[in-house]
Parts: sequence; C-alpha cells; structure tokens
Amino acid sequence: MRWNGSPVLPGSWFVRVVWVALLSFGASLPVSAADLLPADRPVAEVIDHYIDATLAKAKITAAPSANDENLVRRVMLDLVGRIPTPVERREFVDSKATDKLPQLVDRLLKSPEFVDHQVNEFDWMLMQGSGNLRDYLTTAFREGRTWEQMFRELLLADEVDPKAKPPIDFVKTRVKDLDRLTNDVSSLFFGVNISCAQCHDHPLAKDWKQDHFYGLKSFVSRTYENGGFIGEKDYGLVSYLTPKGEQRQAKLMFLSGKLIDEPEKAEPDNKAKKAEQDELKKRADKKEPPPKPSFSRRAKLVEVALQPEERHFLARSIVNRIWARLIGYGLVMPVDQMHSGNPASHPELLDWLARDMAHSHFDLGRLMRGIVLSRTYARSSRWESSARPDAALFAVAQVRPLTPYQYGAALKLATTDPDMWKTLKSADDVAKRASDTARAGRSWASLFQPVSDNFQVSVSESLMMANDTRVMSEFLGDGGNQLVGRLKAIDNAEQQVECAVSTVLGRLPEAEERQAITGYLLSRKDRSIDALRQVVWSLITGSEFRFNY
Amino acid sequence: MSNTSLNRRAFLGTTAAAVTAYAADMTGLNVLSQPALAAELKKKDKRVILLWLAGGASQLETFDPKPGRPTGGPYRAIQTAVPGVEISELMPKMATRMKQTAIIRSLNTKIADHGGGATMMHLGRRDEPSVRFPDLGAVVARELGSADSKVPDYVSFYTQTEGRGSGTAQTGGFLGARFAPMYLTDKSTPPYLSRVESITDIDHQQRAELRDLLSKRFARAHETQSVGSHNQAYARVRGLMSSEKLFDIEQEPQSIRDKYGPTQFAQQALVARRLIEAGTPFVKVSRAWWDSHGENFETHLELVTELDHVMSTLIDDLKDRGLLESTLIVTLSEFGRTPRINQGLGRDHFASAWSTSLTGCGVNGGSVYGKSDADGNTVADGEIGASRLFSTIYQAIGIDPYKEYHVGPRPVPLVDNHADPVYEVLV
Amino acid sequence: MAADPTKLKVAKDVGRTDVLFHLARQPGTSRVFVGSSDFKLYELDLQAEKPEAKEIGGHGSYVTSVALAGKTLVSGSYDCKLSWWDSENGKSIRSVDGHAKRIRMIVASPDGKLVASVADDMICKLWSVADGKLMRELKGHDAITPHNYPSMLYAAAFSRDGKQLATGDKTGKVCVWNVADGKQLGTLDASGVYTWDPTQRRHSIGGIRSLAFSPDGKRIVVGGMGKVGNIDHPDAPGRLEVFEWPSAKKLYDLQTEGKLKGMFEQLAFNADGSWLVGAGGGYAGFIAFVDVNNGKIIFQDSAPMHVHGLSLAESGDTIYASGHNKLVRWELNA
Repeated sequence: MRWNGSPVLPGSWFVRVVWVALLSFGASLPVSAADLLPADRPVAEVIDHYIDATLAKAKITAAPSANDENLVRRVMLDLVGRIPTPVERREFVDSKATDKLPQLVDRLLKSPEFVDHQVNEFDWMLMQGSGNLRDYLTTAFREGRTWEQMFRELLLADEVDPKAKPPIDFVKTRVKDLDRLTNDVSSLFFGVNISCAQCHDHPLAKDWKQDHFYGLKSFVSRTYENGGFIGEKDYGLVSYLTPKGEQRQAKLMFLSGKLIDEPEKAEPDNKAKKAEQDELKKRADKKEPPPKPSFSRRAKLVEVALQPEERHFLARSIVNRIWARLIGYGLVMPVDQMHSGNPASHPELLDWLARDMAHSHFDLGRLMRGIVLSRTYARSSRWESSARPDAALFAVAQVRPLTPYQYGAALKLATTDPDMWKTLKSADDVAKRASDTARAGRSWASLFQPVSDNFQVSVSESLMMANDTRVMSEFLGDGGNQLVGRLKAIDNAEQQVECAVSTVLGRLPEAEERQAITGYLLSRKDRSIDALRQVVWSLITGSEFRFNY
Repeated sequence: MSNTSLNRRAFLGTTAAAVTAYAADMTGLNVLSQPALAAELKKKDKRVILLWLAGGASQLETFDPKPGRPTGGPYRAIQTAVPGVEISELMPKMATRMKQTAIIRSLNTKIADHGGGATMMHLGRRDEPSVRFPDLGAVVARELGSADSKVPDYVSFYTQTEGRGSGTAQTGGFLGARFAPMYLTDKSTPPYLSRVESITDIDHQQRAELRDLLSKRFARAHETQSVGSHNQAYARVRGLMSSEKLFDIEQEPQSIRDKYGPTQFAQQALVARRLIEAGTPFVKVSRAWWDSHGENFETHLELVTELDHVMSTLIDDLKDRGLLESTLIVTLSEFGRTPRINQGLGRDHFASAWSTSLTGCGVNGGSVYGKSDADGNTVADGEIGASRLFSTIYQAIGIDPYKEYHVGPRPVPLVDNHADPVYEVLV
Repeated sequence: MAADPTKLKVAKDVGRTDVLFHLARQPGTSRVFVGSSDFKLYELDLQAEKPEAKEIGGHGSYVTSVALAGKTLVSGSYDCKLSWWDSENGKSIRSVDGHAKRIRMIVASPDGKLVASVADDMICKLWSVADGKLMRELKGHDAITPHNYPSMLYAAAFSRDGKQLATGDKTGKVCVWNVADGKQLGTLDASGVYTWDPTQRRHSIGGIRSLAFSPDGKRIVVGGMGKVGNIDHPDAPGRLEVFEWPSAKKLYDLQTEGKLKGMFEQLAFNADGSWLVGAGGGYAGFIAFVDVNNGKIIFQDSAPMHVHGLSLAESGDTIYASGHNKLVRWELNA
C-alpha cells in the first residue's frame, strides 16, 4: 500500500498538542520591572532566589553543593578553559578562607587565561571557530570591552582604521549570502532564529512573521563587499513572495515590530548605476573603501537595537547564551529560539538578568561572576536516587562535555608530572606554565567534536584515543615531565594509584577504584610501566575526565 | 602475583571482589559477538551505496543525452536494454544493464554553487542555520543500523582533495555523532582500526575493561545521553577493530579484483560491496572531481567510462551475491552541467534540469521519470527537487518517508515538507 | 612583400554559431573546407566580401577533421566514419567505418595519394585516397593511460617529403613511422603537455593536439598545453616541445606568455622553415610565431577565438583559421 499524504504519528501528535498548549502561554516579553527583585541585589543572590522558588514550587530538593575539588575544576574550566594544576587545586581546597571562591573567581576573571578562553568561546559562537575574529576578540576581552561595544564593532567597524579591521569579518564572511547574514545577526545577537520565517510565518511563534525576517533583512540588504571592503548602498528595497505568491515590499522593521523612518531615496537609473559600478571598480583597483552611504541602514540597526525599548533582545540573548554556557542549559532552550512560543523556564530571572545586563552597559564579566558565585552553579552534578530532574529546574549541575579546546588542554595538563608544579616559585609561575601547557594541548582540539546540543561522542574519538601512537607518546610517555614517568618512580602500587587518580581526576581514589586499579597493577608486575600507562589511559579516556561535571 | 602472563579471566578474578556490582555491566564487548546481531541485521538488511560524483557530472554525457542538438556535444546516444530508453554512448556497459536502473531526468534543485548544491544534495533540503540536519547517510545509519553494530554503519570515502569539505560537516547532524560517518580520505582503511604495536592485545583489552569499570561508576551518578554516548563509543572500539579486514581488498579473490579493475574509485566500490555484505547500511564512495568547465568531453570520456565500468561491475557483483534486491545504488552530484558549451569546450554549473539514477533495491528498473526539453535547458515534465528524490530513496529502502524526528519540541520531518516519493521509479 | 609575423592583423572575421574544428584549403586559393560541431562540412571563400558557407555533407557527430588530397576531400568524425567527397562539386564519393572509436584528425600526404587518420582506438590508419582502401594500420600507442583511463590519439603530421608520419597521443607520446613499410622509426616523449592530477581532482587534461615536421625534416614540433594547476580549466600556457630528428633528442620547449592560455591546436611551418605558426586556445584564443632554430617566440597575440583549424598560405602572408563561433583571415604583410 502506498501512502497518500502525510500520516501523523502518535509521537508527533503529542508533541504538537503540547506545543500548541505552550503557545497559548502567550508572550515572553519582559515582565513589568516593578515585579522584579530590586536592581541593586547581588546577581548571585537573585539567581538563587528565583531558582529556589521554582524548586520549592515543584517540591524538589536540589542536589547539595559540589565539593571543593569538584568546584575548583568546574570554575577553572568555565572561566579559563582548563583544569587546575595539583598545586592550584590544593591551595583552593586547603584554604580556610570563607571568601575563597570569590577570591578565586576574581583572580581568574583578571587573568590572561580568561581572555584566551573567552576568545575561543566567542570565536566558536560567532565564527564557528574559523579564527577570523581572534585578534579582534583578544583585544576586546583584554580591554574588557562590553558586549554593547562589541556588537557595535562587529556590525559597523570602520575598515579605514586598520586597527579596527578584523571585526568587520563577521559581516564580510556572510555578505555573499544576505539571508544568512540576516539570520545570523538575528540568532547570534537577538536569540531569534527567524530562518523559517523566510518562507512563511513562523509556525510556532506568533511573533515571527515573514515581515520580521524581511524587515530585519532590510537593515543589511544594502551591504556588499567591494575590493575586500564592506560598503553599503544608498538605495535598494527588499521584496519577497508570500506563500500565496503575493509580492510584498519589506519595511525597515526591527524584530519588535518597530518601524524605522528613513530619508526617501529613489532607485538610480541605469546610467547612474553604471557610473556607480565604474567608481566601485576604480576603488577596488586602488584598494580604497567604497563611498559611505548618506544613510546607513546597518548603523540604524545597531542604534535601534540599543534603544531602551528594544535592547532587551540583545540583553536577553547574551544572558541566555552565557547562562547556557556556564550552567549547561539555557533559561530558554534552544538558545536561538527566544520567542513567545518558547517561554523561559524562569522568566523573571531572565528579565532581571537582562535588565542588569543593559544597566551595566552589557558587562559580560559581571554576569559571569554572578553566575559562578551562585549556589545554583555550585551544585553537585551527582544524582542517583531517581531519574535526573528536568534540566530546566537547575536542581542538579549539568554534565557538560569538554569543548575540544578544554579536552586538549586537560589531557596535556593531567598527564604532566604532578610534582613539577611544586618546583615553580610562585602562583603566577604556575599559572603561566599551566597556560603554556594548556595551549600545547589545544593543538589536539581539531581532533575532537565541537560541543552542540544533544552532544554525542563519536567512535572516531574513541578509536583515535585507543589506537593513535600520538596518544601513547604525548600522554602516556614515561619521560621526566610526564605523569607515567612520575608514577614509575613510586614503588608502591597503592601510592601509584593515589597519584594517578588525584592527578588526572583531581580527587583521591575511592575504595573500589583503589582496589580495582591496585589489583590490575599487581597482576601486571611483569610489565609494570606498561601497566601504569594503561591505568593513565583508562583515566584520561574515562567519562569523569571527558566531562565538566 | 607471579610474572606469568595473565589472561582476561585472571584479571577479572583479581578485581572481582571489588567490582561485583559493576561486573554485570562489563558485557558490552560480548554482546557484539552474539547471534542476536546477525538476526537484527537480517531483519533490516537494506543498504545504500551512494556514488557521489563530486564537482557535478554532466547529465548530457550520462543519463540524458541530446544527440544532434547544439547543446548535445559529440557523443551519441545508444539504445539500452530497455526499449525506448537511450543513454550516452559513454555508458555502453550500463546500457546493457538498464533493466535494473531507473533514471530521473527532471531534477531542478536551483542551487548551482558547489557548497550549497552539495549541502542540499546531502541533506535533501536547503540547509537552515536553526537545525543541524543529518545527511542521507546519517539518516540511513540511524534507521537501518543497529545500536552496537561491530561494523561501521556509515562509511564515507572522499580521497580527492577538491570539494572534500563541501556537503556536510560529517557530524550526524541532530542525530548526533553516533551517526557520523567513518570518514576515509587519504587512506583506504579508516584510521585507528588497528592496535599499535607497543601494546599487546590483552593489555589493550584489559585497559578498555578498566576504563569501562571506572567510567561506569561516573555514569551511574551522571546518567545523561552524552555520557552514555561516550561509553558506547568506547564499547564499540574492539568490535570495529575486528572490521578492519573489510577495508582490505586483498581479501577478495583475484578474479573479483580484476573485474573491478585498478582505479581507486573501483577499488573503493569493491570495499563498499564488502562493507554492505558485512552489514554496513550506508557507504558513500565519492569520485571527485567532475567540474569540467573546460574540456568537458575529454574529462567525461575519462570519468564516465570509469563510472560505467564501476557501476556495472558493482551491479553484477551485488546481483551475483543476491544483494542487489536489498541494496540501492544511487548516483548523485551537487548539480549537473550547462547545456551550453563554452569556448573551452566545457560545461559550467547547472541545477535547472539534471539527472540521477537509482539501481537495485525497491527500484522499478528500466523506468524513466521526468523529461528535460529538447536542448536540456529546462525541465519539460515531472520537475522534482531534492526533497522528492530523498523521499523516493527512503521509500525504496523501506524507511517511511513521512516519518518525523523531534529536535527539542520541534517536529522535523525526515523529508522536507513531507514530499512524496516518485512512485513511478519504485516497484 | 615578405610576410612579417609582427605585422599580423585580422583582415576578415566571419561569425558563426557553431564550432569549426578543422580547416583544409584548396592550395593557391582562399577556398576553405571546415568541419563543424553541427555535424556538417562546409565550404567558404575567405576572400569573398561576405563569405557564404556552402554545405557539403554531414556526419553523425562532430566533424573533427577535413583533409584535402588533390581534389578529394576526406572528412572524419566522432561518428568513427571517414567520408570521401569531390571537393569541386561537393558530391559524396564513399563513406567507410574507419575506426572503432572517435576519429580525431585526418591529414593528407603531400603527394595527395594517402590520408592518415588517428582515432581513440589508438590506431593510425593509412588510406588510399583514390579508392578508399585501407593500406596500413600503425599501432604504437597504448589504449590506456598509465593511470588506467582511456587514452586518446589526437594528432598526426606527414613530413614534407611524405616519407615519414608522426602521431601523438594524450599522454605525450609521439610515434614516428616510415610510411613506405609502416615500421616505427622511433618515439618522442613530450609528456610536458599531459597533466595528471593524482590528488586534487584525479583525472587528466591536455595531450598532444598538434604536430609538425620542419621542411627539412630535422625537427619535429609537438603542440599542446603546459602543466595545468587546476585541471577544471584549460588555463596553462600553450606549450611547444621541439625535438631533433632522427636523433629524437629534445632540444627545448617553450610556452606562450601572459594571458595566452590553452592548447596549441594547429601548427604550420612557412615554406623555408624560418618560422612556425601555432594557434589554439582555451577560454580564448591565441596565435604565436616561433623561430624554431633558436626557440624564440617572434610574435604572440590573442586570437579572436579559440582556434581549432588553420592553414598558412603558400606565400606565408595569409593565415586562414577556424574555431569557436568564428572563421578568421589574418594578413601578415601590412
């Protein structure tokens, strides 16, 4: 029998029904400011207030706090992209100071490694790791630029100033496909993926119509590349077909529906266009930028997006993306589907954080600091008694795969001789050496899968880790600077196990592990160094090491 | 403990006391060798071999000749085994085997740049930034593969360097890396399938068991899909290593190797058959690079001659083994080539009216669907896009083309817009 | 007035919609015969004010070659057939199944008694012009390239005394034959005109597209295209490799310069051998004049089209050429 038309499977029926129900929840636009906690409360406190309130309502007891070993690993992976060295871990764990966590966080936020890590993360977010923006991002984070400023520079940077040239690559690499530029701007900065509104009104979100896509596209549609420079025309309108085949002309309209007035500009005749072409060719040959438009729609987009009534798009999106990165699950998921059909799990919290973001002129460090100092962030990731609670409740810490950079750095750091760090003179020396070691490990990054929603580890990773000679030499060598080298100098299996587990996993072995590994080492006395390699291998390929938990 | 070498049982013995709670979990490897697997394969034994003609093969020099027209080029059309169906004279071997092959001559896929075209013809739809769509191979691996298979379920060859990055990110899309291809570029065997010499087999095996034991402790308190996939990926290592011989054509009798012949494409097609035979549901063999902007006729004389031979040999070989009725062979490019012949006697990119072929499983052999106009400039009849082609492929191999996946709450139809199969080319 | 290549100028330019792959000229006249991509043969007078193309006959595919042997015109095509025509009245004389594969070129012996045809069956066949009889088959080119793809036999040329014949294939191999007994006299390696790309695109481009003996028979010139980087495009310079004969020693090679890219499709020596003209192209055409004795390019320029067919007037001051959508008459004695 052949199908006619599209059968609806029970599964999809259910999802659709739920979906429609969600839609009827209505708007996710900001809650009235009066209903939010006061603006002057500490960020961390506000986070815990709202998260705890939901948990109380759901009658769920959150996981306890993670222990210090776990927490220092998590914080360092999140803020500086690497695991702590044994020395750094020891110092944190042994410290009796009540404010040791804020102290650590503040020190990390000021470190060069923080800059490196943010560059990696934002390069992935904005450019899929192409590296085009690295120089710019490095400068931006080193100088502590705000997201507001970076948003402006990424879209508008003036190429005549050579120092400011790189950020325009955000536009330049996308300018040949204006639909993509439109959608990437919308999705990366405003948290709204409107690509499906390209062909029809958004099926799930009442607030996204074709008008929105083409309205937003109108802001970038006059942008072009000429001779390696980005230019913008003075004229040109976007028109599109509705699904019914009706031709429409797009209005210059922001996502909020706000319409923008602009000076009237008629389409030039063919002769004028020819003259313009000739002029552009001349400028391209002379490596000069194209002439400036009398009215820049792209500049207008930046201006509008930062206006008090509209800036919640930019603010909510970056808050949600940073939250998702540090917590492992966004207040809105997926992070590019922030619309009325997909409300936030904690709307007030999102609004409070977005307001705080806007008030701070989009200070990213302030938000990150607030999140990592919250109790919500610090929860244990362990959950054994029942099925893991819904991620959107934030009752337990998420288990997050290490990014390729983090995993590469961690492999290198964890297989370095743990006693080496003790020989360094100062904490700064340790940080510096750790940073160099991490960077060496990051050359492995291209061999691992980038992190995504529904992340899965592929067999290409497990096969490589199992059978690549470079893994053997780089991570399992028994040289003087390497972990296996240190282990072989220890003459007692129990102590070997302790050293191996605490170096790689950052904690002492538990009884079962102790017994299993010791048993293995004792049974392999005939080739004891190889046995140590196998133990280290089983630790660095293990899930505990592969994830940020 | 003595210094005598220990077998696996002895190692387990020493640790058993400590790990009884987890020993039950250490059966992952054993499952792979159990007959249940074979039965599972039998049940869903449909397969796909995609011959990916990267760079854009010319429809005019293959399945839609226009002899005598200004756009036709020098090659004539020849009668095939199916009355009334003619193909290019460059494919004499396929002409005699046309009863097993269906041709679609009415693809209008609109995208005529390599990257965009390749992406579309791998995904069966326009790419969207909002969803990481899986490609054809990942979907087939997901639908026809088995969870813990010891053969790879998606193997992709792409040996030439040109255009290698086009198409898909080789990630499995939203289905996840579990369905990403085993991707072969410069070597004919996948990397890391064999044990390095410096570790003995018993050590290799035991360290995997130790790893499993330690990781499962973690996984128990951290039960998530990602953690699960990590341990599953390691659990498959030893099984996959046992599949290494599948990539070695030296294992084939000389007579079979002679039939395929010496070219790289032919040898990879032979590996594809070995994989298919062993249970791999999807093998993509890429043959780059067809982008004949100049010297189109000379290039196609080389490449179509090879394609004709490889495809014919593959069909015969599968048929001889009784595998043709369960194996679908698809030829596909990112687009076809312009009817217009340029001054360099080349043809350029063209997505408005081009052809594809389907052979074997589920295919109404000898059928021709759709028509281009006299000069091949437009589709004259039966226009279809990538989505209907993919719907047809799924239907042919028994995957419900109207199925939906869910990405978060969003339903994503397997086939864009629930497009219907082209039933005319299916049995 | 002596012909001066540096004075080259287009005297006539005839637009067409087809591609004219080969050109033969009635000696002493401006009457030319051309083979077309529309499967037909035409005759035109390139001195006429408005040259009219007269259709002579046709084939089942591209007409790749026309050779004039006395008053007999012989044409060859991708349809594998050789056809004999009376060049004066255009009447068909005979047609034979000349080769098992596509015929690439036909050349007539200087005495007009023989024509030699080369085809993708990799055989050169000698035919009696008078009765169409197959006189000899010359086999010396491999059917398969070293990379296991079908090879092609593109070019042939007689020596001026008609005693020797050179044939050139895709991989750059030249065989030189003794016409009288069909014996192979030697081979030349001109593999600089063949590009095999093993890595990036894994197929080939190029091949020997033209051959010429110097009038004294002491040089053999091989024409094609230099090594191509991106084999999607015929975008390397035109290349000539010059050999001493019969020592078979390679003397030198030379390539077109600047924007002149593509294959030398045709070569012709002037009467005294003081220079050689070659023409061809890729996405555009070129023409070049070479002093074969010193290996210097005397003059090179773009041509109005990718040139496929060429004939140099006996006086050396006029060149007739056919190619992509065009026929051209050049004058060299301004």
